[in-house]
Amino acid sequence: MKKQSILSRIFLLYLPLIAILLFILFPFYWTFITSVRPAEDLLGRVTYWPSSVSFEAYRQLFTTTVDFFAAIRNSFIVAALTTAVSLTVSTLAGYAFSRYEFIGKRALMTMFLCNNMFPTVLLMIPLFTIMRTLGFLHTPWSLVLSYTTFTIPFSVWLILGFLKDLPMSLEEAALVDGCNRRKAFLKIIMPVLGPCLVATGVYIFMTSWNEYTFAMMFTNNATRTIPVALRNLIGQLGVRWDLLTAGGILTVIPVCIMFFFAQKRLVTGLTAGAVKG
Amino acid sequence: MKKKWLKRLVVVATTAIMGLSLLAGCGGNDTETPDGGAAENVETPDISEDTAETPDTPAVDGATVQFRYWADTPEFSQLMQDIITYFNETNTSGITVVGEEAPWDGGGFAENLFNSVMGGADIDVATWRLSSTPLFVNNDLLADLTPFLDTWDGVSDIDGNIWANMREAGGREDATFVMPWNLQILYVYYRPSIFEEAGIEVPTTYEEFLAAIEATTIDRDGDGTPDVYGFGLRGGPGGQEPWGSFVHGRGGSFEDMTSAESIAGMQDFIDVFQNGFAPPTAPSDGFSEIIDNFHSGLTAMTIHHTGSSGGMEEVFGDDVSAFPFPAGAGRWTSMADTSTVIFESSENKEAAFEWVSFLATGEGQRMWTEGTGNIPVSGTVQAGEFFQNNRFVQASIESQGFGGVIPILDTTPEWISTIFPNTIGQALLGQVTAEEAMETLQDALYR
Repeated sequence: MKKQSILSRIFLLYLPLIAILLFILFPFYWTFITSVRPAEDLLGRVTYWPSSVSFEAYRQLFTTTVDFFAAIRNSFIVAALTTAVSLTVSTLAGYAFSRYEFIGKRALMTMFLCNNMFPTVLLMIPLFTIMRTLGFLHTPWSLVLSYTTFTIPFSVWLILGFLKDLPMSLEEAALVDGCNRRKAFLKIIMPVLGPCLVATGVYIFMTSWNEYTFAMMFTNNATRTIPVALRNLIGQLGVRWDLLTAGGILTVIPVCIMFFFAQKRLVTGLTAGAVKG
Repeated sequence: MKKKWLKRLVVVATTAIMGLSLLAGCGGNDTETPDGGAAENVETPDISEDTAETPDTPAVDGATVQFRYWADTPEFSQLMQDIITYFNETNTSGITVVGEEAPWDGGGFAENLFNSVMGGADIDVATWRLSSTPLFVNNDLLADLTPFLDTWDGVSDIDGNIWANMREAGGREDATFVMPWNLQILYVYYRPSIFEEAGIEVPTTYEEFLAAIEATTIDRDGDGTPDVYGFGLRGGPGGQEPWGSFVHGRGGSFEDMTSAESIAGMQDFIDVFQNGFAPPTAPSDGFSEIIDNFHSGLTAMTIHHTGSSGGMEEVFGDDVSAFPFPAGAGRWTSMADTSTVIFESSENKEAAFEWVSFLATGEGQRMWTEGTGNIPVSGTVQAGEFFQNNRFVQASIESQGFGGVIPILDTTPEWISTIFPNTIGQALLGQVTAEEAMETLQDALYR
């Protein structure tokens, strides 16, 4: 096989790679330098690097009424609870749909799909009334319950697809070896399902981490999440770009860290085979 | 056997929970139930049951007022919290105001508020824009303030023109649903140094104003492209406000936008752009762009209110000033409001009125308007030293007499957000004539 010359590698691989990376990373770079620019640099002549670096915007995020720390804490509680509840329910539901035959199975699965077709605004007032009457309004549970209504159906379909591809012989072998259904599910299916759960979990976490509409309606100053806190920085008279970009940077950090770890599991999951032979 | 019993228990418990949830959901729009919601996070007000259940009896002493507001900046947010604290500590009726901040959300504040109130939220008072009034009045969500205003001595401290605008928004002659709070009255910002360079004085008539726009369009380096444009024209979102001044300047009106006078005003607006007296980006320029263009020295004049005066002074010092939009055959400027309302579902209307009246004419009025730079509605506060010595506020106060609002109809929100920017963009770019554009605007507003 003919070895590629250095020149062709540069032009065919490295330069396009650098161009794509620039395209992808530039918005993050721009967001970051906007967050560390001194206030007087924000308007006027466009420069691609700050005249001096200031972390004043980050300080203000945590010391003013924005109270970004509380917002991060609330977002994390809501996203973690939503992920835990949705993953548990979806895994069990997906397993039932894939392994059992029962009356109304098809109708239920279709209903799960239809659930996502309702526009959010239609659900807003009834959900608000439900949360208020149940006493969940202005607590993280109002968001957890709302988010699970649209994360569970999607997650069930996602997990169902993965489970259907898993050969029955895996469980059958476990059952022959003396496992009952519960044990076979926990000891055999769950470990194989790991990568799928990671992918689904990331989807659920991201959805609830970034959601605004329900968060705006169902929270108050004490339970406000990140998207609502950030939206408060967009007023009628303009946008607090310094605070908004600083908040944006802090918001993507947990997501990036999560992806960093999730990526390993995802790749493992993609390359791991179920049964040989 | 034991397992079966456990299974049954789980099934029964799950069914019971689902049933309860459904019942709770079907509880409907029971706005009179004060429990749940915000009350959970607030100390229970010390109101006797008799007082709370009898609407005719004043429920002021010890009442809690739930107040939903938006703040445009973190500084305004802090200021509002300071005002609330001040009121809670100084009012003699033991009223506690609980402030709940919500994002302005590009105007979505009103929509979120509507959903909350329809869903039975315990909100007594909210900050307000007049344009939201028809939606809430048509759904019987706002309290008529007339009984309170009839006995309130602060009415005369507020200009009659402002009360007329508040009443008009509700669409009923015999009811006032909106309480004035503060104003943003549009005037013309200009750069004295550029006026000097062009050799002109501050215009006093509409014709002189048009001439000033032309004169202050300056090509300093002679390359054929102006280095300074006379007017920072706003063709994008919010452009209906300065545009309205041009239409009225020729004697036109919003009621008949197809009259010869209205069309002539529209033609002036188009000519400013097509003759090259406004930046090339004008058809899509909104608030940020006109302010940035003015800050960078690209434009000599632009139209906005005191909300941007702090930034102007920071950039230019004394080299920025203001004048009211000059009079022509007619005269009009946009008088945007931020007001307050009390909801019909409130069980503490008297206490709520004490709070909104404190914001309208009391110390709350002074603190808020001095802190934000907005124009006070209270004549007493306007006469204070702080406002008398500010050239921008003076231009606003001088404009108060001819300030007005775009007709508030069911069609207005869509007209402002979509119809106007699209139509004006086409007109500025020469895709439709002034006459055609005005017909479109007239039909869309009064359809």
